[in-house]
Amino acid sequence: MTKTLLEIEGFKMHFHTDKGVVKAVDGIDITVGEGEIVGLVGESGCGKSVTSLSVMGLVPTPPGKVEAGRIQLAGRNLTQLNAKDWRQVRGNDIAMIFQEPMTSLNPVFTIGSQMIEAIRQHRKVGKTEARERAEEALREVGISRKGILNEYPHQLSGGMRQRVMIAMAMVCEPKLLIADEPTTALDVTIQAQILDLMRRLNREKGTSILLITHDLGVVAEMCSRVVVMYAGQVVEETDVHTLFRDPKHPYTMGLLRSIPQLDKRSERLYSIPGNVPNPRKMPTGCRFAPRCEHVHEICLQSNPPLFEIAKEQHTSRCWLHDGEEKEETDRDRTREIVGS
Amino acid sequence: MTAPEKLLEVNHLKKYYPIRGGVFGRKVGEVKAVDDVSFTVRKGETLGIVGESGCGKSTTGRSILRLEEPTSGSITFEGEDLTSLSGEKMRRMRREIQMVFQDPFASLNPRKTAGLAIAEPLEVHGLGDRRERGEKVKELLSVVGLDPYHGERYPHQFSGGQRQRIGIARALAVQPKLIIADEPVSALDVSIQSQVLNLMEDLQEKYDLTYVFIAHDLSVVRHISDRVGVMYLGGMVELADRDELYDHPLHPYTQALLSAVPTPDPEAKRERIILSGDVPSPADPPSGCTFHTRCPHVMDICREIRPSFKNYGGNHFAACHLLEK
Repeated sequence: MTKTLLEIEGFKMHFHTDKGVVKAVDGIDITVGEGEIVGLVGESGCGKSVTSLSVMGLVPTPPGKVEAGRIQLAGRNLTQLNAKDWRQVRGNDIAMIFQEPMTSLNPVFTIGSQMIEAIRQHRKVGKTEARERAEEALREVGISRKGILNEYPHQLSGGMRQRVMIAMAMVCEPKLLIADEPTTALDVTIQAQILDLMRRLNREKGTSILLITHDLGVVAEMCSRVVVMYAGQVVEETDVHTLFRDPKHPYTMGLLRSIPQLDKRSERLYSIPGNVPNPRKMPTGCRFAPRCEHVHEICLQSNPPLFEIAKEQHTSRCWLHDGEEKEETDRDRTREIVGS
Repeated sequence: MTAPEKLLEVNHLKKYYPIRGGVFGRKVGEVKAVDDVSFTVRKGETLGIVGESGCGKSTTGRSILRLEEPTSGSITFEGEDLTSLSGEKMRRMRREIQMVFQDPFASLNPRKTAGLAIAEPLEVHGLGDRRERGEKVKELLSVVGLDPYHGERYPHQFSGGQRQRIGIARALAVQPKLIIADEPVSALDVSIQSQVLNLMEDLQEKYDLTYVFIAHDLSVVRHISDRVGVMYLGGMVELADRDELYDHPLHPYTQALLSAVPTPDPEAKRERIILSGDVPSPADPPSGCTFHTRCPHVMDICREIRPSFKNYGGNHFAACHLLEK
């Protein structure tokens, strides 16, 4: 087994609003090993972006509040860092790229000045050297055009902007790259280029990647392990082959059956009935129970823990797996038995 | 199969937008958003149009309804040329052709309840009195899978999938023959996306509808369409029956596009064609074949002469010099 780089344990991030508490992330455990690409999958509102922002320390507190758990990067607890320490970690140890590169680049500064600022923020180098490093980083991501450092973000296409963002994220050679829907706003042919680039960085530099996406195709292609989230909780985790071949959680199964496939055509698509629950009014039992076709009495009363299907490799948060010879995982702290 | 009845025929459709510059706002160039596109839509079928951003697929859809005034070309709907209709006649024609948009929130008035939004097209076209319209709205809500009380709610109280259902109910209100759906499921999560796709299929059967389904997601288009057209930089590069197009793509762009789609199957091993570079600007399209700047099989002729859109057997149309030999 590879060494663990990122370890999220029993982490809860709640938002206290006027209308009540939103339990955006409600007790999750995720690990990312060194050199590993882990996929974090789920639909809008499942808490995947809040998870990634929490790892970067970018959730404003208040309204956000860490209710429980911790996030460790190479043995260092990130949840207790102060603002100054955070600045050290961000960029140097963890970097992040977002869905819409235009909103992460400042429109009134040139690409060069933004990259040089980022480099000089983290490394004690002069302007000329920083400029050379910026050019080097851009070459790494396949931009060899000379004058690009003097251009403004609006002069670049979407794919080019995302390359610039990746170059900027990679200048300080972080151990972990968090990619939050990095190709969602891009066209398929450009998406293929960016995914190719990320795979290359992972292979050549050994950068671990936490890839957040809703696209199961992208997951199948990029990741070795996959974590599926639903309504603020992890519902299933396993390696990518098992997930697509033998998914265990009814939500994962439903998700996989709802996507139209390019090379197979079904007459009618499966669809999961209903909508994701309101985060202020989570169902008392299993959070997926109102939409689940296998719902039992117990599902409506208590939220299942993560059951281990095969030791250390496959977990699923579903009562269907209760008593399947495996005991529940000891690290699960989110079990909520109502009325007990 | 008997010769299918043509419902819509688009011939040499062009839509150029002028670029104005200088002190006097003179025309200094043109953006060729749609450049000589022809296709037909048969009665009762779904024609899918795919392509990447900026390829002109939405402009094509909007031009059919004359939401964008075509620069030239003809659009024949049930034997009548839409481009020559007067404003009033065109307005009446829109009873027959309706549109469903990508962002259902942006196309709904936030201050009008869903019921009023659905009743609006009935009002515009002078159909029924107030009471009849109320009945019709209730019926439409149930047709698209919503409850009558949803009619009293405002757009912000609905989820994305529900809003799209309202968008569809509104398009159906005037009993159109043709619905042009422009990226109707792109903004939705997968589990909701499949609900809306199934609904659209059910409605097609129930009301004998014809769809032009515009989307960038190749898997979704394969699922819903009978025939599929692929657009690149303002032009149609390939058009064929669904399975023919996906199983035997002729045009190098279609081949690259299909190979670039990530498949939700980690065991799948596919030859991937990664195109270099970006789509060129439609304000300054490449000479000859517009795809030659990125084509892996580019020849000298491609840089000079634009290939014509020809039938290569079995109604499989493509525009590429490679195929002419």
